[in-house]
Amino acid sequence: MNAVQTFKLTKKFDGLVAVNDIDLEINKGELFSLLGPNGAGKTTTIRMLCCLLKPTRGTASILGHDIVKTPFAVKEAIGVSPQDTILSERLNCWENLGLIGKVHGLNSDTVERRSKELLETMGLMERAKDQVRKFSGGMKRRLSIAMALVSDPQVLFLDEPTLGLDPQARRTIWEYLAGLKGKKTILLTTHYMEEADFLSDRIGIIDEGKVVALGTAQELKTNIFEMRCMVVSTENITAEVMADLQSKYSRLEISKGRLKIYHKDLDFKGIVDYLHSRGVTVYSAALEQPTLEDVFIQITGKKLRD
Amino acid sequence: MKFWEIGKRNLKEIYRNPVLLGFLLGMPVAFMLVFIAAAGGGQASPIAMSVVDEDGSQSSSAFIQTLGSIEAIELNEPVYSEETQAQKDLDEGKISFYLFIPSGFQAAQQAQQTINLELVYKAADPMIGLQVKPIIEAVGSEFLGVAPPLHVELKGTESKIKNPAVNFYFPGIAVYGLMILISTAAEIIAGDREKGFLSRLFTTPARPSDFILGYSLPFIPVLIVSTLIYLGVGMALGLTVIGNLGHAFLIFFLIGLCAIGIGMIVGSLVKSESQAGISWLFIVPMAMISGAWFTVDRMPSALRSVAGALPFIHGIDASRAVLNGSSFSAITLDIYWLIGWAVVLFAAGIVLFRRTMVS
Repeated sequence: MNAVQTFKLTKKFDGLVAVNDIDLEINKGELFSLLGPNGAGKTTTIRMLCCLLKPTRGTASILGHDIVKTPFAVKEAIGVSPQDTILSERLNCWENLGLIGKVHGLNSDTVERRSKELLETMGLMERAKDQVRKFSGGMKRRLSIAMALVSDPQVLFLDEPTLGLDPQARRTIWEYLAGLKGKKTILLTTHYMEEADFLSDRIGIIDEGKVVALGTAQELKTNIFEMRCMVVSTENITAEVMADLQSKYSRLEISKGRLKIYHKDLDFKGIVDYLHSRGVTVYSAALEQPTLEDVFIQITGKKLRD
Repeated sequence: MKFWEIGKRNLKEIYRNPVLLGFLLGMPVAFMLVFIAAAGGGQASPIAMSVVDEDGSQSSSAFIQTLGSIEAIELNEPVYSEETQAQKDLDEGKISFYLFIPSGFQAAQQAQQTINLELVYKAADPMIGLQVKPIIEAVGSEFLGVAPPLHVELKGTESKIKNPAVNFYFPGIAVYGLMILISTAAEIIAGDREKGFLSRLFTTPARPSDFILGYSLPFIPVLIVSTLIYLGVGMALGLTVIGNLGHAFLIFFLIGLCAIGIGMIVGSLVKSESQAGISWLFIVPMAMISGAWFTVDRMPSALRSVAGALPFIHGIDASRAVLNGSSFSAITLDIYWLIGWAVVLFAAGIVLFRRTMVS
């Protein structure tokens, strides 16, 4: 049985299709990332899986429990960290964690033990008794993730969990989440390519409500992204040479003397020779591994932050 | 006991919020001080007078008509034919005093015998007797065309009210204070929806009943504490409690429940905490037409009917009557009315709040 499975999951808002016939299977213990630009349907998908939104069509199951027919069983199994850092502002860390833990049916001792562990992991112990309205954005986000974890859920939904965190805090959370791999099923959405790359077992790229690519980071880079990229450090390149290259290769980018040439079959030597023959100075040239960002642009035609 | 955890959280969000508490407790207390100081215990003129005409004769009617033509006096309609009803209305604070014209008025006039009239008032308002007696004596002498044998007896009914202005203003302002719970409840619910905290809670395995109880019960201790503070301040300002304080408390409690119900309705319908401010559009006009700040005796009858259909005027009238010594039986109808409203408003609040849980 899959931990999360969606069946033609669809959500329309006033005729606008936010999520369109999504079929996903996430295995138990897998860390799955949904990548997509704003408005792609990531949060709407998570909100349906958390039983906050009713699907317009289709359904999904979490550990075999249908999100439409048995939402209560679904809610018992999940922990959620929403995209906006949502806390009870006049409560302190212990009280926020206690509220979520106890609403999940945990007893006081368990809640206290789990809260202590999480507050230490998230580096919040020193300020644990302060009302959270006085916290910085980063501290609030760490507490929000701790709240998703306090009930020790089997399936974890993390909507942009490290948005706005400094690199150090982000790294701490990554390490914690990496430690959960294999033990918990995690579905996270993110804007950060390196986050998806570092953490995910598999990645789903979502655009305009549809999953447009699915696989491990490596699979996406090698299989889906068919083009290779050559980077040439150069100067005095003319418009005429650029126009000539443009007619031969799929995509060109030039910025501050770095020329990037994308094409399926790149003839490394041929390009260098051609540039020399046209009097262009070449300081260095190298073949570059495509990044997940390249994959994303290739598939969706958009930058991730669009 | 998941509702208990949600309720505890909401209570903390209220009592740790000084602005919210300032509104809830500070504003009514400030109103009490201002209104009572401004009133200074004085009586506005003309004086509204009720009359019991036991004689029912041509002569007594003509006398009443003459009284009504005096500028200093305004006659309440209708004229009572039996004293029992007038006595009841006096007890309940609906009228402040009445003139009793006994049977035999016409006969005594014709026989040129001494005519005995009675001015019945709450002993708390001795000024009424003293102000009105000479007027009636003067009008009576002129009407009868002779110097007294007219005898107007002052009959102050048993009352221990020390400061009538406080006893008049306190119930209205206390009810207004409890009406502020409308905006408190609406702001908490709408704010938690706007910020997504309710959504976050909706992803946990709590039942709808946990949310409903968790978002309504915390207002009950707030309501009880507010009422106790209002009563404490009222007494410190000279409120005289003659009737049963428990009955007054029950009335305030029912008013508070109505307010929480309206707050749940508004909080469920609006989209944001700032939109919850719309509740003041109900609070202020409802307080006005319910007589929270001044008497509504001369309000047009249409407005009076509107106020009478709503719960708050019943809370003000009944609590004023009880504090001034009315028995429970005198306010039973008001209590039923308040219970009915509390049930309807709470039920509507629950239905609308439930609707917000899944979109």
